[in-house]
Amino acid sequence: MKQAVDLDERLRATVRPEEGAIPLFVYSDPDVYRLELERVFGRVWLFVAHESELQEEGAFVVRQMGEQSVIVARGDDGQIRVFLNACRHRGMRLTCEDRGVASMWRCPYHGFTFANYGNFMGTPFERAAYPPDGLDRERLRLIEARCDSYAGLIFATWQQEPEPLADFLGDLRWYLDIFAGRAEMELVGEAQRWVIPSSWKLPSENFASDAYHTATAHAFLARLGLVRGVDFGRDGYHVDAGGGHGLGMGVHDDRPGSWFPGDLEPEYSSRLSVDQLALLHRVKNFHGNVFPNLSFLIPNFIPVDGRLVTGMMLRLWQPMGPDKLQAWSWFLVEKNAPEWWKQLGRRMYVQTFTSSGMFDQDDTENWEAQTEVATAALTRADEVMLDYTMGLDAAPLADFPGPGTVYDGKFSEAAARTFYRTWLDLLLEEQR
Amino acid sequence: MSSIWVLPAQEVSPAARLAAEDFLIAEAALLDDRRFDEWLQLLADDLEYIVPTRTIRRRGNGSDIDWESRHFDDNKASMALRVRRLTETDVAWAEDPPSFTRRVVANFRYTPGPTDLELTVKTNLLLFRSRGTKGDNDLIAGERTDVLRLVNGALKIAKRHVVLDQATLGTKNLGVFL
Repeated sequence: MKQAVDLDERLRATVRPEEGAIPLFVYSDPDVYRLELERVFGRVWLFVAHESELQEEGAFVVRQMGEQSVIVARGDDGQIRVFLNACRHRGMRLTCEDRGVASMWRCPYHGFTFANYGNFMGTPFERAAYPPDGLDRERLRLIEARCDSYAGLIFATWQQEPEPLADFLGDLRWYLDIFAGRAEMELVGEAQRWVIPSSWKLPSENFASDAYHTATAHAFLARLGLVRGVDFGRDGYHVDAGGGHGLGMGVHDDRPGSWFPGDLEPEYSSRLSVDQLALLHRVKNFHGNVFPNLSFLIPNFIPVDGRLVTGMMLRLWQPMGPDKLQAWSWFLVEKNAPEWWKQLGRRMYVQTFTSSGMFDQDDTENWEAQTEVATAALTRADEVMLDYTMGLDAAPLADFPGPGTVYDGKFSEAAARTFYRTWLDLLLEEQR
Repeated sequence: MSSIWVLPAQEVSPAARLAAEDFLIAEAALLDDRRFDEWLQLLADDLEYIVPTRTIRRRGNGSDIDWESRHFDDNKASMALRVRRLTETDVAWAEDPPSFTRRVVANFRYTPGPTDLELTVKTNLLLFRSRGTKGDNDLIAGERTDVLRLVNGALKIAKRHVVLDQATLGTKNLGVFL
């Protein structure tokens, strides 16, 4: 019955973010997933690397845009570019490494060679194989994505004439300044990767919008006395940043004074506005998602060896199928930070988030089971609707210094509603 | 006349090797039996427990083990917290209901030291993990390097480094100890 219904029609009829109504099938439907690869991951700006990873000329990392492998490289001319990791001859993967330094990539199949700025350089016995003059250099240039950066974060898009990255990030920029732009940042080491049998949307939506789950899913923190009370997820702000982006911030107004290292205060104040700096000084935790799949986090500060410490994280949820994702996780830290902040911060990051993180573990259990339930329900005759109404009638703050639609208290699903509104518009190819 | 039976064993005495092997096999049984409080007693107070990340590199392009990026970066205090989470709360969802695990510890290699009271033991770890009712399982493989220390007549784990054999882990979390 439902197969006969056009997917566009079904999406339009059932995905109703402004009413707080999202249908279960969108979590794991294979047809929806195909559309996502084409119309979300094939079109919007996607995070691919951090500038600290590509300091050296010729440095490259291999990343993904949707399911496609790309090379992010700083060319010999100093410019950062993003290429489809595919030889123009037979589509063979040009490099199979995670990273390296190279002036050119030579395809391991037939030897077609490309410079680290994308130009086709030649192939073995070229004049004999393609007489008399060899191949057209320009025609065989590597396929290139548009690329730009904000606050050290490098993004790329397959759109040839995309909206500017600054417009795509919109109101989120003010908050990304605080998270990633308050100081010169560096990613420490390689990404940690693991596979989770979950739709990529569930963790993305969770980081954008869901502070409410902490009281149940992460109740151990309160049970073991590491935070005061089970409502540690409530005090702060919920931000619908528009464009599918969202975040939440916990604040510690009960214990005033910045919890970040005092040594870094001059750098913070040189890069942030007075309002941004004032907010940073109140931050107890900070979580969000850059649409579609880049999550960022300052986990709750925890006392260690007499100091309050946190460990910042960047996290990609790379789609591997309608019901499978690959998590990529990095520790992000201020480059000029004192050594104790870097060492303890990394330890906190590893112990709370990451594959072994005491928070992450419990989240994966939820996302896997949600995905299983959604997949099993795909054959149902009725439409299973889910409730996304939290904070639907709440009035936003009028006097918050930051942009976006900001709510007092973290318990809201406004950012999830924005996530699905942007997602739906992209799937239906509707401009708003 | 010489015979093969007079060849000297490795520089670590057979008695010490046997004690270390017994210890690590018993330790694995404690973990498989979820006797985490008893397991915690086997860890030295200055424990260093690190699990680095693996990456994909061409030969000649540096090590494929990245010690800066870590799956575990723990000490005794944080291990105690992980154990308390499992044993004292009813909200450790990732391991409640618990996974069925079976650890196989093999290919023991011994080196004396680093101190007179310590012995370094490299072993291969195969950790079978099964959750839920779907009949599937995860297999986590890696090489452990343990420093075992004699403390008041009993062995303790002073250091454990585990180099896992996957660049992308195939298990959805490391809610189990390696």
